[in-house]
Amino acid sequence: MKIAPTLEGGIRIDAQSPEDWHCLRAIILDANGWETDLASRLGGLVTDEKIAEDWQDIVVPDLREAFTDALHHVYASVEAASAFPDDDESPIWITREDADTWYCALNQARLSMEEKYRFGQDPESDPANLSPVRHEALVRNYFYCDLQSFILRHAMSL
Amino acid sequence: MAETTTLTETETNVSTQPPWNVIVHDDPVNLMAYVTFVLIKIFGYNEKYATTLMLQVHQQGRSVVWSGELEKAEFYTQQLQFHQLKTSLEAAE
Repeated sequence: MKIAPTLEGGIRIDAQSPEDWHCLRAIILDANGWETDLASRLGGLVTDEKIAEDWQDIVVPDLREAFTDALHHVYASVEAASAFPDDDESPIWITREDADTWYCALNQARLSMEEKYRFGQDPESDPANLSPVRHEALVRNYFYCDLQSFILRHAMSL
Repeated sequence: MAETTTLTETETNVSTQPPWNVIVHDDPVNLMAYVTFVLIKIFGYNEKYATTLMLQVHQQGRSVVWSGELEKAEFYTQQLQFHQLKTSLEAAE
C-alpha cells in the first residue's frame, strides 16, 4: 500500500494487493467489533443524576449518528475505489474536508479493538507470543495508528 | 416644564450554582498530538496550555480542562465526546 500527501493538502491511498483491500475494509469491521458501541461507552461517562438521563436521550443518539456517518463515508470510499482494483487511476482520496471523518472512523476501530484486545495494557507484549487472531489485530492496529498520524500531520488543520 | 427624574437601579445576579468541571480521562488509544489538537480546536487554548493539559491527562490519568456554568460545560463535554475523547462532567467540590 502506498500512502502519500497530495499537493492540495489531502492524502492519497493506493491499495496494491488483496491484503491491502482487506486491511482497509477491516476498518469498518473493527469499529463495529465490540458489543457496546462507542456512543454508549462515551455516554456512560456522564453519570451525574441531574444530567445522565438527558445525556442518554439527547446526546448519545447524536454521537451514534455522527460515528455511523463516518463509518458509512469510509465504507463508501473504500468500496468505490475497490470496484476498479486494477485501475491505477482509482486511489482513495482523503481531502482536507474528509480528514476528520477518516480520523473518526480509524479512531472508532482502534477504540473498539482496545476494548476487545486490551493492547494498551500490555504494549510491550511480544507479537510472537500472540495468537494469530490477536497478532493480525495488532498489525491492523499499528496500521490504523500510522494512518491516523499521517492524516493528523498532513490533512488536519485548525 | 415638568421635571423629569431618572432612577437608576443596579441589580447584580450572582449564581449560587456550583461550577462544573469538564474532565478528560486518559486512554491508550487517542494520540497525544490529537488530544492537544482537539483542546485547541474546541477551547481556543494556545498550544502551550493545551499541551500542558494533554500531559496532565497522560501522566495523571485525568485533567480538568474547563470549569464553569453547566450549560457551557455540557456543550464542551458533548464536543469532546464527538471527538472521541473520554470526557466526563462533574460538579466541582
